[in-house]
Amino acid sequence: MIINHPLLGPRDAAEFVYLGDASLIDRPDWQDPLAAEKFHDYLYLRDNPVGNHRELWYHEQGDRSWLVVTRNTLTHEIIKVELATDVARKRGRSR
Amino acid sequence: MSKSVSEPASEYRLHPMPFLGGYDQVFSGLSLREAVGLAIVSIALPRGNPAGPALEKAFGTALPEVGKSANAANDKYRLLRLGSEQVFVLFEHATADAESEIAALIGGAAYTTDQTDSWVALSVQGARVRAVLARICPLDLHGGVFAIGNVARTSMEHLGTIILRTDEDQFLLLSASSSAQSFLHALETSIRYTA
Amino acid sequence: MSQPHRINGGLTDRTQALHFTFNGKAMQGYAGDTLASALLANGQRLVGRSFKYHRPRGIFSAGSEEPNALVELRRDAHCEPNTRATVAELFDGLEARSQNHRGSLEFDLMAATDLLSPFLSAGFYYKTFMWPKAFWEKFYEPIIRASAGLGRLSGQSDPDFYDKGFLHCDLLVIGAGPAGLAAALAAGRSGARVVLADEDFVLGGRLNAETMQIGGQMGSAWAAAAGGELAAMGNVRLMPRTTVYGAYDHGIFGALERRTDHLADTTGAPRQILWRVYARRSILAAGATERPIAFANNDRPGVMLAGAVRTYANRFGVTPGRRVAVFTNNDDGWRTATDLAGKGVEITAIIDTRKIRPLASIPGVVIMTGAHVTGTAGRKGIKAITLNTGQRIPADCLAVSGGWNPNVHLTCHQRGRPVWDNDISAFVPGGDLPPGMTVAGAANGTLTLAAALKEGHATANAALKSLGFTPSRSQAPVAEDEPRTLEAFWHVRAGRGRAWLDFQNDVTVKDVKLAHQEGFRSVEHLKRYTTLGMATDQGRTANIPALAIMAECTGKTIAETGTTIFRPPYTPVPIGALAGRARGKDFRPYRLTPSHKWASENGATFVETGNWLRAQWFARPGEKGWRDSVDREVRMTRASVGICDVTTLGKIDIQGRDAAEFLNRIYANGFAKLAVGKVRYGLMLREDGIAYDDGTTAHLAENHYVMTTTTANAVLVFRRLEFARQCLWPDLDVHLISATDGWAQFAVAGPNARALLAKLVDAPFDISNEAFPFMACASLSVCGGTPARLFRISFSGELAYEIAVPARFGDAMIRALMAAGKEFDAIPYGTEALGVMRIEKGHAAGNELNGQTTALNLGLGRMVSKKKDCIGNVLSERAELNRPDAVRLVGFKPVDRAESLAAGAHFINRGDPADMDHDQGWMSSVAFSPMLGHSIGLGFISRGHERMGEIVRAVDPIRKREVEVEITSPHFFDPEGERLRV
Repeated sequence: MIINHPLLGPRDAAEFVYLGDASLIDRPDWQDPLAAEKFHDYLYLRDNPVGNHRELWYHEQGDRSWLVVTRNTLTHEIIKVELATDVARKRGRSR
Repeated sequence: MSKSVSEPASEYRLHPMPFLGGYDQVFSGLSLREAVGLAIVSIALPRGNPAGPALEKAFGTALPEVGKSANAANDKYRLLRLGSEQVFVLFEHATADAESEIAALIGGAAYTTDQTDSWVALSVQGARVRAVLARICPLDLHGGVFAIGNVARTSMEHLGTIILRTDEDQFLLLSASSSAQSFLHALETSIRYTA
Repeated sequence: MSQPHRINGGLTDRTQALHFTFNGKAMQGYAGDTLASALLANGQRLVGRSFKYHRPRGIFSAGSEEPNALVELRRDAHCEPNTRATVAELFDGLEARSQNHRGSLEFDLMAATDLLSPFLSAGFYYKTFMWPKAFWEKFYEPIIRASAGLGRLSGQSDPDFYDKGFLHCDLLVIGAGPAGLAAALAAGRSGARVVLADEDFVLGGRLNAETMQIGGQMGSAWAAAAGGELAAMGNVRLMPRTTVYGAYDHGIFGALERRTDHLADTTGAPRQILWRVYARRSILAAGATERPIAFANNDRPGVMLAGAVRTYANRFGVTPGRRVAVFTNNDDGWRTATDLAGKGVEITAIIDTRKIRPLASIPGVVIMTGAHVTGTAGRKGIKAITLNTGQRIPADCLAVSGGWNPNVHLTCHQRGRPVWDNDISAFVPGGDLPPGMTVAGAANGTLTLAAALKEGHATANAALKSLGFTPSRSQAPVAEDEPRTLEAFWHVRAGRGRAWLDFQNDVTVKDVKLAHQEGFRSVEHLKRYTTLGMATDQGRTANIPALAIMAECTGKTIAETGTTIFRPPYTPVPIGALAGRARGKDFRPYRLTPSHKWASENGATFVETGNWLRAQWFARPGEKGWRDSVDREVRMTRASVGICDVTTLGKIDIQGRDAAEFLNRIYANGFAKLAVGKVRYGLMLREDGIAYDDGTTAHLAENHYVMTTTTANAVLVFRRLEFARQCLWPDLDVHLISATDGWAQFAVAGPNARALLAKLVDAPFDISNEAFPFMACASLSVCGGTPARLFRISFSGELAYEIAVPARFGDAMIRALMAAGKEFDAIPYGTEALGVMRIEKGHAAGNELNGQTTALNLGLGRMVSKKKDCIGNVLSERAELNRPDAVRLVGFKPVDRAESLAAGAHFINRGDPADMDHDQGWMSSVAFSPMLGHSIGLGFISRGHERMGEIVRAVDPIRKREVEVEITSPHFFDPEGERLRV
């Protein structure tokens, strides 16, 4: 596969390490009254969709950036590639 | 409390050893040479506190785009932009205090780390250099795609490598110093296999 | 050395005779021959035995689709089995042997298998050998194993070299026949970067096998000229002898280039190169493969594809027979008769299944239309054919044509499904091609010359336009379309004897009918039940006729019946090519510590830890085994001072205004208040609360830390720190860079560690206990000006430091340390002594942080701060991880001190049965303690901390051992830790 890195252009997927569902960005608040339950869901519950899937890839043999790649699990078509930092900020994460 | 000194420490003065012993070989249509005395200092750009203007002032040149390099105004420093927050500064410097020179130059505008000893640097040059590298480098090194001054970090023979095009038929390769022997072996094998 | 079947013409170089042997018999061919054409020229019809029934078989095709002519090439370690003679390029001195027979090829002892064929029909595996059950392992399986398999491997290491490489292009053209050449010319002339690959060693494809003309030139001459023009273009890479074997995601293709297979001397240069081709667009111009018609005894040597017969005559100047008959259902078959007759070869009959007006008349030839061949005669090569009229016609070669199947294989590699085209009675590429791919020429069902040329040209221009290139003004090459009508005809019903479909796996028409009868009717079931198409040729000549017969049986159309699809590789790829350089010592790169050279000069034995080579121990003369060396290293370190290279520990340079806060969230214990100049031990958890990694982090300066990780987890910890920094807390100002390789780091441990280092540390740095206490760190200089970092940390439990210098000084530093340490009898110690000392001290390492243990289990539960957010904090509080009977890390001593302990043993209470229900925990690390004089162990046992002094059994059912052990504190040596603070 080829991942079109938003800063570096097309790179072979062999340079990357796959992690999984991009929902791993949404780490719950440790002080939430339901923290234990929310961390459980965060860590163990994943969708496994046929079709578009937002997933985390790490450019280990490159610029060390984490990316959110939207990929069709059926065709492997890559629809979108974003810097995970940008995605995290958009989802309200900061410090 | 004074330390117990029985002999002056300078009696054991340490002499540096290049990772490949100063390797320098000429092959048919190609030369391969360890770049000894090349200092590497990484600069990390602080978050939420743009360092660009201060660095531009220090080096007399704007920071290059990611994947590009630029020479400082005095031509002493070459800046390699490896990531949105990471720049490597390459320059000739024999002693082990390269980091303090850059830290002083940029005056605390960004974070610096000495990377000189983390990398072995090999310069490869010659008419068939692209054919040699095509055996180990997954990147497209065609001049129209990877122009002089372009820089990229990738993997060659399972080894993380930074590749900088220094001329039409010349590249500088940086790879981890601990695996310098394996990296050299990869290059020598490519040279032999494309002879 | 005569070549009785050599005729005039062709593209071989008659001035260059090549000598070769087949089964030891000396033969001769010419440059430009394949092994198959040379064998045929020498009159060798029988070339092998079939896989299952050991039927005599001959050359069937002239290309990579060959099912029969699999041979061994070369000898000894260079011997390669299962090579298709039809694509093996002849060279001087080639040795070839037939395979799959016991005894000689002519008198194969295994041929008796054929007599058993009534018992070996499709699915026999599932039906026979079932009884008696005990016979399977001892009797049936060994016999089947001995009989099965194609050729034999040499059993020796492959002496050849293989390489890999990467190619990038705008357009990859797969196949250099008329369509491919037309496409490459159009693309090359436009300036695009083109790769043109073909499995053959001559460009041109069928143009070399036919007598058609392009632009008034012979097709083969036009192809040679086109190749010349392309070769002169700097933007075109011509790759003959290169098979594009797979189409992968996003325009990546696998290609195998055969570099030296056609050369007598293969030493030095890589034999084959496996290319990964990155292509923005691709054109599949892989041509078409002819298919046979099935009839009784159609597998005899001499029965060949009609197009192949023409190839041998036109391209190689060889006639496969002296009296050739043709059996066809289409116009193309007739061309074999006319071409061969034109070269003076006797044609005995043309049998066309269609009721048509004859397309040619050749004097003396029996021409029958609406007729069939119902059988052949001749045991090891045909002598005559029988027709449905009962007429017997002499022939030593029968050229069969059932039409042409487009080579759609690569269009299927991403699950594209071919569709049935009634016009040519064949499957053509469906709509869902791999992205960026178009198909041209015969591969697309465009079976005639002029149309293929036009399509190649137009397809290339369309691809170029989509990439933003301006196509050149050149026109498609001009030729005439040949007649190509066909009436589908798959098998002859009449006749006695088996009618063969898959020659390599010995599948017959009857087998297909049996599969239907037994309910295996879908194409996927048919394939698996009969093994149709599952041989090395992937059924390239067999699949379509077989599924046509299945369609007949079910009463469906072929379109409704559908087809199986193809996977990579298009043709077999040697394992050696897939391995490339990664063999033996080059399997993976290795990393050397800065003291490696010194260590190898000083008797070190090295051990692989990940990619690192580390000194395991340093043997001295007189030591009888590794234990002698390790025990001495421990004793001498604890008695005076020892030095160990610890460079391999991961070092991560961490800087930023928020570095302290970041570390505080990464580690389970507190890091927010670590003062500058101090080091702290840190424990990292996984988010699920399990212990992940540990190490020390030093606060070097304001906003500047250096973290150490375990050697094994250096890369993984870095990755997860980047994840936390980028994905969890993107606005913390914190930056990471690896410093593992940058610093040569040595542990200096033992009562004389300070005295030794004091000799090397430059004034005015003070390393006295008061100025530089336990867990202090500093940047300083050593040996008269070399910058260094000093950490007062201890893994051994001794007064100890780690001293780091830039890696280029590492070799000098170990020598300086040893020289300065001479007066103290300083010794180097390796990873074994390191391990012994840490077990004596009860420090957890990889065996304890094994992905199953929590901080609580490790006895570090109180370190986990409840007052802050950190990775793993929340889920570490789950009840199940905090059960009162949770296992705890404790020490174990054998009750009988002479006994040795074994890691992996499980603890069972005295009196309980040794089973999982009574499992109390496990032993994780063991060592012989030279300080205590007996074996010691670390392990996890339920409520261990409350059971000091209790005796349990350490049961090791795998090694069949059981030892009684006493539960003790894990701190075996210097339990109060007095030695490290002095």
